[in-house]
Amino acid sequence: MLRTVAWTDSWKNVKQEWQIMIGRRQSSGGGGGRTRGGMTRPPNNDNLVTFKLVVVGDGGVGKSAITIQFFQRLFVTDYDPTIEDSYIQHTEIDKQWCILDVLDTAGQEEFSAMREQYMRKGDGFLLVYSVTDKQSYENVMFFYTQILRVKDKDACPMLLVANKVDLVHLRKVTEEQGRELAHQLGIPYIETSAKDPPLNVDAAFHEVGETK
Amino acid sequence: MDERATEYLDFSFCLNFRHSLPLLQPTWRLWGEERGDGVIYTVYLKKVRYHRPTRSLSASDSDDEISHLEWETVRVRFLKAGTVQRLVESLANDDGELESTYINVFLATYRAFTTPREVLELLLARYDALDEGSGALTGEQHRKTLVQALHVWLDAYPGDWKSPPNHPLLSRLLDFTHRRLPGSELELKARHRLHRFQREDQIDSCMVYDNGRLPRGSPDPIVDHWANYSFPEVPHRHFAEQLTRMDAEVFKKLIAHQCLGAVWSRRDRSRSHDAATVLATVNQFNAVSLRVISTILMDPTTKPQERARILETWIDIAQELRVLKNFSSLKAIVSGLQSNPVYRLEKCWQCMPREKHELFRELERIFSEENNAWTQRELLIKEGTAKFADTAGRSDRHLQKLFQKQNTHAGNISYGTIPYLGTFLTDLTMIDTAIPDTIAEGLINFDKRRKEFEVLARIRLLQGAANAYNFSTDPLFDRWFHSVVVLDDREAYKLSCQIEPPPPGNTLSNRGKKKQVSMLSLISLIRTRSRSPVPREKPEPRLILQSHQGHRKNDSIASTSSSSSSQFYCDLDSLPSSPHNSLDRRTSPSQMSSSSSSSSLPSLDVSLSSGGGSGATNQHNRLIPPTAITANGNSPNLVGLSSPSHSHKSSPDFYIIKVTMESDNVETEGVVLYKSIMLSNNERTPQVIRNAMLKLGIEGSPDQYTLAQVLPDREMVLPNSANVYYAVNTAHNLNFILRPRREPNDSATESPKSKTSHKR
Repeated sequence: MLRTVAWTDSWKNVKQEWQIMIGRRQSSGGGGGRTRGGMTRPPNNDNLVTFKLVVVGDGGVGKSAITIQFFQRLFVTDYDPTIEDSYIQHTEIDKQWCILDVLDTAGQEEFSAMREQYMRKGDGFLLVYSVTDKQSYENVMFFYTQILRVKDKDACPMLLVANKVDLVHLRKVTEEQGRELAHQLGIPYIETSAKDPPLNVDAAFHEVGETK
Repeated sequence: MDERATEYLDFSFCLNFRHSLPLLQPTWRLWGEERGDGVIYTVYLKKVRYHRPTRSLSASDSDDEISHLEWETVRVRFLKAGTVQRLVESLANDDGELESTYINVFLATYRAFTTPREVLELLLARYDALDEGSGALTGEQHRKTLVQALHVWLDAYPGDWKSPPNHPLLSRLLDFTHRRLPGSELELKARHRLHRFQREDQIDSCMVYDNGRLPRGSPDPIVDHWANYSFPEVPHRHFAEQLTRMDAEVFKKLIAHQCLGAVWSRRDRSRSHDAATVLATVNQFNAVSLRVISTILMDPTTKPQERARILETWIDIAQELRVLKNFSSLKAIVSGLQSNPVYRLEKCWQCMPREKHELFRELERIFSEENNAWTQRELLIKEGTAKFADTAGRSDRHLQKLFQKQNTHAGNISYGTIPYLGTFLTDLTMIDTAIPDTIAEGLINFDKRRKEFEVLARIRLLQGAANAYNFSTDPLFDRWFHSVVVLDDREAYKLSCQIEPPPPGNTLSNRGKKKQVSMLSLISLIRTRSRSPVPREKPEPRLILQSHQGHRKNDSIASTSSSSSSQFYCDLDSLPSSPHNSLDRRTSPSQMSSSSSSSSLPSLDVSLSSGGGSGATNQHNRLIPPTAITANGNSPNLVGLSSPSHSHKSSPDFYIIKVTMESDNVETEGVVLYKSIMLSNNERTPQVIRNAMLKLGIEGSPDQYTLAQVLPDREMVLPNSANVYYAVNTAHNLNFILRPRREPNDSATESPKSKTSHKR
């Protein structure tokens, strides 16, 4: 259950930061657009914080699996990738609703010209590589540079994701290497695998929220 | 009840409904599952009109008779999962008739779980087995159906049979027909096919030779560069047509099943030929984008106005592509213009007229990722096989005008459609990931293939539509296209920085420090899209457009925070190896992107600096209004937030108040600055002051400030001990003023009623 712990821990962090972020946004965002008479009602469902998470990485590293793990509900039998809200999740944290919007362009990696376009829209990034593919590990640096350049910043919320850790005998990138890269980039590191029973990230969020 | 198992799928069904299984149809009811040997069916009960045997099918549909007709329920079986053998057997139904929809799905998707060879062997083996069997009537029918299936396969997927030089699959089939069905139509067809392949093989080898002789592109760019067509002085419509001609060529050659997740996204790098036609589409897309980028950047000495002309030209070509419904090159151009090296050329964009900005925004909106690329999907559904483009969003003024003009000159309005393939590739990748290949101990999950088929069917339909294009090749265009020197990422960025250097002293390497971003800075990136009533029509905050619109004097300024984002970082100087060293190896120091996050200038000031402000710093701040946060992030107003009533529409237990800062300075540029902060029902004055200070980016102790509500006739100073929530006068606007605590005899206490601006 080590991997589960890894996920939970990482997401615990994300979740905490998220809460803070939502709280903050509420105080400013609510006042921004719809203030009438200096007073605002609590947000309704149309007025939620949206956080856009962009998943990047080489083709074949399993980005799509992570996206789908992320959205447990996508495992329903009539999963349809074409409907409007396929990758949008309303999540309640401490009774605060917000929208997580994941942009995963898995399958479009080779349309290199449009990469910067969607990177620009990201609020946060998952940098994914496969531990069975050294090249994909080395390319993380490239994505990292590109994101910072596009965002015109010298730092940006990112998470380094080492995928396919279940394929032990095919592993070419060690955990140490992964951690070192994460340390170098100054971003958190997690290990994942699509083969594990999909972890309900959403539930983990709530669990952490309630046991606090 | 009879065992009629009619499947009810066709292309139009797939396109009109989003599920190929009839879950959404009111007359269908899920009955359950049925298991057989190596096969699982999903069984539906379907209410159908009872057809009297004497009536023809079409006659029975007449409306006025419906009420007199009776209904009956039929069982409809869908193959859910099975072994390869059972899947092949199911090409015929129980009566031995060909399942026409099923065979379409099967032939389009079987490569994901088996090979052409295996399918052929199974078909032939089944034929033999049926022949040796009882010889009953159904056996005869089954055999006929098998032959029919082979016909369909040969017609619809000739590529499966082609494997030069010997085409063993065809030989195997001919063997069989020779033995079993000599002189049959099938044998003739197979033989024809073989001859054709052999002829094509010869032509192909000649082509290779030809290509070897003809140099691609221009070997002497100095003489030939821009020869004949000189960007930006080019005919827009003609260029759009030529691009469409190129795209249509590759798109029509696309083999749809190469897009399947199992083929495209799971392919081995060494086996790219399995997806060669997909790759060709991708390459064409990138080629167009790269040409956009290089025509804009190639000459660093071009003046911004002239460079803006190049941008405009591409936008005009893009507009023509929209009319032609070529979404592939359209997106390629939009992507090229959005690529960082081009996008960051602020001066150049500013030279472009307003209408062009608007037009660009309209075109760009088509490819918004919002709502899972909803706009693009809807467009394809509406216009995919329509004659002409006519769908513009309510706010797309320029496109609306264009389409109107077009409709009045309706001479040449029969176009095909070329989609942007990437969306389909992602959909197929996601289906492939989300739905398991096998279920129930290794049975092939055929429901997954149906799902994939829906996407493939859409592609196939559009491929058919692409035939409507008919543009002849302009060799001069091709020559121009191939003569454009393309830049790689690094070169492009380097050139871009040469054209408009990033602000000095602000590069990563100059700072020489490794910064770590905390997840807290997520906050600074948050945007609320949802404020707009119709989110998908809301334009993204764009620096380009804003530079023309000027700053809006409203609360949105107030919602940007001035807190210095440098608090989000903690230095990691001790790190022996900075990643930026390695970054710098890729890109020279001067190219490194700049950032304002560590600049001591609070972002508010930057974004307020006059209109055409300079540099990337400005750009950054306007693109992503940072929100006020603190380093510890544990501001007390979070307490208020966790109260349960927030997500419900009850009376608020907090207010949003606007706070302005009074300062000794005169108003800056007539802009009044507010900060909106949340006031919850348990906050006393010092706490509210502290929150306001955080928002306004003021350091120091709350004791040094006073807070007053601005009322029409006076100011109400809040005592230190007050619970502000209950103290405020809600009959008036909740405008507050924060001012430094003064000596009692200070003259400035008579503050004007109007909000004082805050200058740093």
